[in-house]
Amino acid sequence: MRKPDVKVVILGDMNVGKTSLLHRYTERRFKDTISTVGGAFFLKQWGPYNISIWDTAGREQFHGLGSMYCRGASAVILTYDVTNWQSLSELEQRFLSLTDTAHPDCIYAIVGNKADLTDACAHLVEMDDGHMSEDIQDTPHHPASTTSTSSVLLHKQVDRMDALALYWRILRYKGLEENASPAAERMCFETSAKTGYNVDFLFETLFEMVLPSILKKRNEGDASTVDLEHSTETKRTKAGCCR
Amino acid sequence: MDLDVQENGKAEEVRSSEASFVTCAETECGEFGSSLTNHISSVETVSQEGVSAELCGLEGSAEIPGNASPATVQETAASHLESAGGADGHPESVSDSASVEDAPDDSGEFVVTVLARGKLEEQGVGVKGSSSPLAEAAAQGVPSSHRDEDVTSESWRQHRKHVFVLSEAGKPIYSRYGSEEALSSTMGVMMALVSFVQSGDNIIRSVYSDEHRVVFMQQGPLVLVSVSTSRQSEQQLRSELLYVYNQIVSMLTQASITRIFEHKKNYDLRRLLAGSEKILDGLLDLVDSDPSFLLSAVHCLPLSSSLRDSLSQILQKAITPNLVFSILIAKNQLLTIVQEKMVIDDARLDPADLHLLLNLIGASSAFQAGEIWTPICLPSFNPDCYFYAYISYLDPPDCTVCLLLLSTDKEAFYAVAECKRKIEEAMQAQNALSAIAKAQSYSVSQVGVSDLRHFMYKPFDVPDNHRQLTQFTSPEMEAPYSTGDERMRLLDLYRDMHSRIHSPSRPLKLIYHVAERETLLAWVTSKFELYTCFSPLVTKVCAINAITKLLRWIKKEEDRLFIRYPPKYSTTPNPSKSSRKGGSDQQDTTDNGYPS
Repeated sequence: MRKPDVKVVILGDMNVGKTSLLHRYTERRFKDTISTVGGAFFLKQWGPYNISIWDTAGREQFHGLGSMYCRGASAVILTYDVTNWQSLSELEQRFLSLTDTAHPDCIYAIVGNKADLTDACAHLVEMDDGHMSEDIQDTPHHPASTTSTSSVLLHKQVDRMDALALYWRILRYKGLEENASPAAERMCFETSAKTGYNVDFLFETLFEMVLPSILKKRNEGDASTVDLEHSTETKRTKAGCCR
Repeated sequence: MDLDVQENGKAEEVRSSEASFVTCAETECGEFGSSLTNHISSVETVSQEGVSAELCGLEGSAEIPGNASPATVQETAASHLESAGGADGHPESVSDSASVEDAPDDSGEFVVTVLARGKLEEQGVGVKGSSSPLAEAAAQGVPSSHRDEDVTSESWRQHRKHVFVLSEAGKPIYSRYGSEEALSSTMGVMMALVSFVQSGDNIIRSVYSDEHRVVFMQQGPLVLVSVSTSRQSEQQLRSELLYVYNQIVSMLTQASITRIFEHKKNYDLRRLLAGSEKILDGLLDLVDSDPSFLLSAVHCLPLSSSLRDSLSQILQKAITPNLVFSILIAKNQLLTIVQEKMVIDDARLDPADLHLLLNLIGASSAFQAGEIWTPICLPSFNPDCYFYAYISYLDPPDCTVCLLLLSTDKEAFYAVAECKRKIEEAMQAQNALSAIAKAQSYSVSQVGVSDLRHFMYKPFDVPDNHRQLTQFTSPEMEAPYSTGDERMRLLDLYRDMHSRIHSPSRPLKLIYHVAERETLLAWVTSKFELYTCFSPLVTKVCAINAITKLLRWIKKEEDRLFIRYPPKYSTTPNPSKSSRKGGSDQQDTTDNGYPS
């Protein structure tokens, strides 16, 4: 059986597209999803590593489970909808406290999804990137065909600056040093699960960034441990990098 | 207005919903104001003729003192005389009822939306006929279409069965068709009806019109309303509403619903249920199309008893502390279920709870590659606490075989997921998946009884009955019941037979019913409940012979058709003991499972 090396959790309000993001990344396509029940666990093979991804339900009904999903997480993807200001503020109000159980080394990404609704550029699938080539089959990549996807762009309610500001507030909440943490510019993404814009980039970047913790954990011989909580404690004593 | 006086103690929300209703009555119902007047007069004439079934709820409550008709409006504590007009005695109540009748502009408006809609649907009924189930079946394929429906449109009114859920404060919580916001005034009317009748210490149970039955049910702080043209009995509609309520409880628990509304009477429960509409939609579609709900029994996939036993054994071996139910499902039917020993001793899994679980799985299957971990309450088991359900498909990407493991430990995901690996490995070793894939429902032709088209058989004499899941068996619906319309028609016939068999006032044991296009025979004994459908030309003698043959065939096949001895395991922390116990149970099962 494949043991997960590291845990990534996707959080965010309902209907921001968490399941779609993950689906785009793992299945390479966009389809209509229905509201996630509880949380869904996926094991993603990434090179020689196994990354467990928790796709959580955004519904308030399942709020109580959030901290369980986040326990020992190495990366948390906080997702909002660029056309919905409320979804960004919910991140801070409802979801940030859930990450208290995450690993002390945990990294945070702020992801504005549904960028295709507001930015013409999000309709374009990046051609120069090898990872994106698969998207070409089912995604229009000529600017002309953007009209078919959505002729009228919606008003963008959440600016990139808002996301950056949230990231800094998160660092402050976590008591992390700004210069010791990944730069906000690197950790704020705008994506479109529908067109695939930035989706691979998001996941690949995060996986690269959690790679050190994977290696560290493997070296510590914790790789076979499924209980991430336990490994958290081991880390804390040995690494002692935070606070 | 009468109602203000009578609702002296009621919360203000009601009055505000009244107000919003009145505006609604003017705007929304303006176009069919005339039909409303017609309708109300028709109700009056009918009720003057004393046909109790045609009483309208409001006037029904007022007329009960004089009419003494069967309880369309059921009284709670107070007598008829006191009830309608408060505690003032008979004369008062008469004048009250008169005022209700004399002031149709006011009180009538309260029923406007419900009844006027009823009226309109009545008018449209000729056009609609039996085509609506098909239309609905077609609409099922289009997600989210129901939510966007225009609630003022004719097509909205013509749905076969509407279901509404609202809070005691009149706040909309769920509507099967159309958005709740658009229906808030309609729901306000419903709540006004409920509280109007309540103010006289009565409980409104149903409103009957020519074509519609409006059934009300109050469960704690929630009010559920079914508006149906389906001709189902009030009892059946009520049990369907109970399913809806229980599905909501399964997501939130009864305790938390109560707590929420104790804390804040006008809480908008949609906040917590947002995203769950699809689950309720799916439930209502199932309730209409799957006889399991009618029979309160579980449908098992026919399987050779040796294969079922080996599947049970696989489940029995993959256990972890706090695991209480292991359930294997294929094609939305039960393959096998194994329960924790301790659990089975003090309670059992109710078919109703299993239906809710099956519906949840069906509704959450959109992203099937993952392993789902979610809290779920089983209302018949314990309405106040959660189980944690692990749901995973064993045969991606086909996703027909589903494993459901229920634990009482919130944190047990990884341990339970490990059980799944064990089950997966064991099933691979035995090539169980391909054996399951071959299993399918049977054709009625296998029974070898000519003229028999379809049947539903629910045994009561199963061994260990009081601890076992109630089951039923039924063949595929084949021609002439291969279209959605025809299937619904047969189910309606069954529902009708069922309601007559289980009629609270005059229960029947045996019905032989010659319908236009088929002949039906329903029979209830202490050992079984049986519904059969024959070709229309069958004679009574023929049908009875056929049933004798059918019963013999079922007896012969029962090991394949039913889970005869649901196995158990023990997850109490003593592995050696538990495995021994599990083994001995299995031994019993195989010994008794094959009657010679």
